[in-house]
Amino acid sequence: MVERAHIAEGARRAVTGTGRPFLARILSSEHPFPWLFPISAMLVLFGVYPLLYAIWLSLHKRNPVTRLSVFEPAWNWMKIFGDQRVWGAIGHTYLYTGCAIVIELALGLLIALLLDSDRKGYGVLRALMTLPLVVPPAVAGMMFLLMLDGSFGVLSRGLYAMGLWSPAHPILATSSSALYGILLTDIWQWTPFMVLIMMAGLRALPKGPFEAAAIDGATAVQAFFRLTLPMLSKIIALAVLIRGVDLFRIYDYIKVMTEGGPGTSTETLTAYAGAIYFKNADFPYASTVALLTLILVVATSTLFMKIFRVRF
Amino acid sequence: MGFHKHDKQTFIVDSATAFGQRRISKREFLRRMGLAGVGFSAFSLGLLGNSRPQRQVSLIGEAAHADLPDDVTKFLKDVGGKYKGAKIRYTSEATPPTVVLNQIKSEFTGLTGIDVEVEIVPLEQVLAKATQDVQGQLGTYDLYYLDQSWVATFAPDCIDPVELYKSKPDLAMPGFDWEDFSKPLVEGLALYNGKMVGIPFDIPIFILMYRQDLLEKHGLSVPTTCEEFSKAAHAIFDAEKANGIFGTGLQAKSGHYSLECDWTQAVWSHGGSIFGKDKKFSGNDAQGITGLKWYQDLLTIAPPNSTASTWDGQFQMMQAGQVALVQSWDEFFPGLDADDSKVKGLWQPAKPLKATPGLRSTSDVGFGEIPNLGHQGGSIMGLSAYSKNQEAAWIFMQWACCKEIMTRCTLAGGFAPMRESSFADPRVKAKEKVGPGTTRHLEIVKWTIDNVMASEPDMPLWAGLSSNEIPTELGKLLTGQDYNGDAKACMDAVAKIVDSAVQDAGLL
Repeated sequence: MVERAHIAEGARRAVTGTGRPFLARILSSEHPFPWLFPISAMLVLFGVYPLLYAIWLSLHKRNPVTRLSVFEPAWNWMKIFGDQRVWGAIGHTYLYTGCAIVIELALGLLIALLLDSDRKGYGVLRALMTLPLVVPPAVAGMMFLLMLDGSFGVLSRGLYAMGLWSPAHPILATSSSALYGILLTDIWQWTPFMVLIMMAGLRALPKGPFEAAAIDGATAVQAFFRLTLPMLSKIIALAVLIRGVDLFRIYDYIKVMTEGGPGTSTETLTAYAGAIYFKNADFPYASTVALLTLILVVATSTLFMKIFRVRF
Repeated sequence: MGFHKHDKQTFIVDSATAFGQRRISKREFLRRMGLAGVGFSAFSLGLLGNSRPQRQVSLIGEAAHADLPDDVTKFLKDVGGKYKGAKIRYTSEATPPTVVLNQIKSEFTGLTGIDVEVEIVPLEQVLAKATQDVQGQLGTYDLYYLDQSWVATFAPDCIDPVELYKSKPDLAMPGFDWEDFSKPLVEGLALYNGKMVGIPFDIPIFILMYRQDLLEKHGLSVPTTCEEFSKAAHAIFDAEKANGIFGTGLQAKSGHYSLECDWTQAVWSHGGSIFGKDKKFSGNDAQGITGLKWYQDLLTIAPPNSTASTWDGQFQMMQAGQVALVQSWDEFFPGLDADDSKVKGLWQPAKPLKATPGLRSTSDVGFGEIPNLGHQGGSIMGLSAYSKNQEAAWIFMQWACCKEIMTRCTLAGGFAPMRESSFADPRVKAKEKVGPGTTRHLEIVKWTIDNVMASEPDMPLWAGLSSNEIPTELGKLLTGQDYNGDAKACMDAVAKIVDSAVQDAGLL
């Protein structure tokens, strides 16, 4: 009888794991909690807490003299409506994001089509294409700042020499062109990212439809528009979404190259939030502008996903 | 050297900024990038552009050693030695004295055993770091570099050094001689509401600088008023534009403090002020508008890159022989005489331009503003009230600001000293000749400090207003983004923004 009870207890322990070291029990557990805990904790610590703190800050009004923050929930949000720089920054953010996505996507797809070959040497070309991605954005911004300098920049001087640009209007010192100078940096650095994604998409396409189209006498252009593009549409939408969210929070290039100027002609939402934070030390208002950026990112990407029926 | 990810990113950004500001050479930049694990292809190296003269190298002349008096050395060994092993941190912009101090700090460590970390970052990062430190009362930094426009903001967070010197005689450096500090600097820079916030440490100040060869070539005399300045600059521009020489160069970068400094000087020189007696913005009155229009006119005869240039860019224009007349920071001058300068010995210093029609008195303006002819852009070294190594930091602060070290900073690069004794030092006088680290401009600088030094308002909002709102709106006007060239419309908009902020802060 005792022996039978002992065996039963052994079986119970084997099933429940009790009696073994704590770590061993966790490692053998099939419950998701122990496995999700580390990442959940990280998410709370670095995602949820900062977000809640930013919301809390945005509901306060800071007095720069006393440095005290008082709870005034509407103060910063009402201030946003009357702040012309916010509206200008929203416009620049969308303009920059839209231009960058269109150009980088078009160039990325074109380069991917050109490099989509197993011929000798193309592997090296594909590897070279990714080089700009390893340069930190701040360094890329500094490189282009120097190249576009109105007095000595090699790129500016080249454009002047070719008669393509007037020395009287240095690219980064002129309101109407500064944003495009920054855009040039973005295109140089991030087009390879689009190339990589498009290349992956192209490589995953089935060969059958293309062979059938070739037999039916379809030209390369027809095959591209009737087969390649439709079959790549999900990948394109995904690339636009990922890159769009990234572009929306553009900061590095602007900080390094123009600090939002000339005037406010290159000031995006994040650049403006940075100026308020670093120069005015108005942490609550800076948080409010940052939250507005988040709201716009979520709203725009949701709308995009609905329109283009993107699903994950 | 190991890098955590955050440190690495900060290191890369700071190094890139330092390279852009010509504080480090291309070789040093690449070495640092190598340390940070960033690879550069030969292609990207070529794209870094033509090599630019190194301002730091130009400014820092040959080493000039000065021995500390015996009693000071003994004090540092005996009293400072008690804090052996302590580490103090100082955050600062790359001002010339800070650069020199960073180079010679090991001598202090050698005597005391106190380790000193000087963190050199761009100006706005100094402000952000100091602001975060005092907001949380963290004591991350023991010493702050405080620009003159921030002194009021940080006044509650710094310990009065004179009080400390008196209250702790055992920590007081012998022969420190507070009376030796230039009085206008103490009053204009370091005092706020009667409290000494820190010790004057750096004094760039506006003087007039001109190319003697160009003035002589065109039969022009040295201008003394704004009107004469404009006429001379226009004449040279008209005659020399085909040679790529402009009348003047400006530090007119939108949204940067440098533009605000230029504008303030223009307003004061035309009898205006930033604030009126009623503490309301007065840059939009008749004198203020005249000053701004004068500045707008100068922009038409300045290199187009002026609207993207800060003080570094302006210095570059001068050193490259691109401009003929400039009213700006005196600390450019030694670099103009450097061996790598294209205009060595050609620039001359002169007194700042006289005000037309006349200066506004200090009693007619608000927030302690001092309208005058020489805009001072100095800084103080402040001792943090939250420092965890306050006594060690205090000993370092006295060492950094003592007569010998301050004189040595001047000898190393020709920078304007804070102490009367440094100006009169025979070694400083001996360098009043053309050459690297020249001091031949210091007589004008001393006259400017003693007689016509101007200072911006002392108010807690000024750090933000002077580096964000005002230069941003000015940038919109100067680059044609807004206001259609109408100075009055721009200044009225600024008045609205400034008055609203002042009222919200309860300062009216």
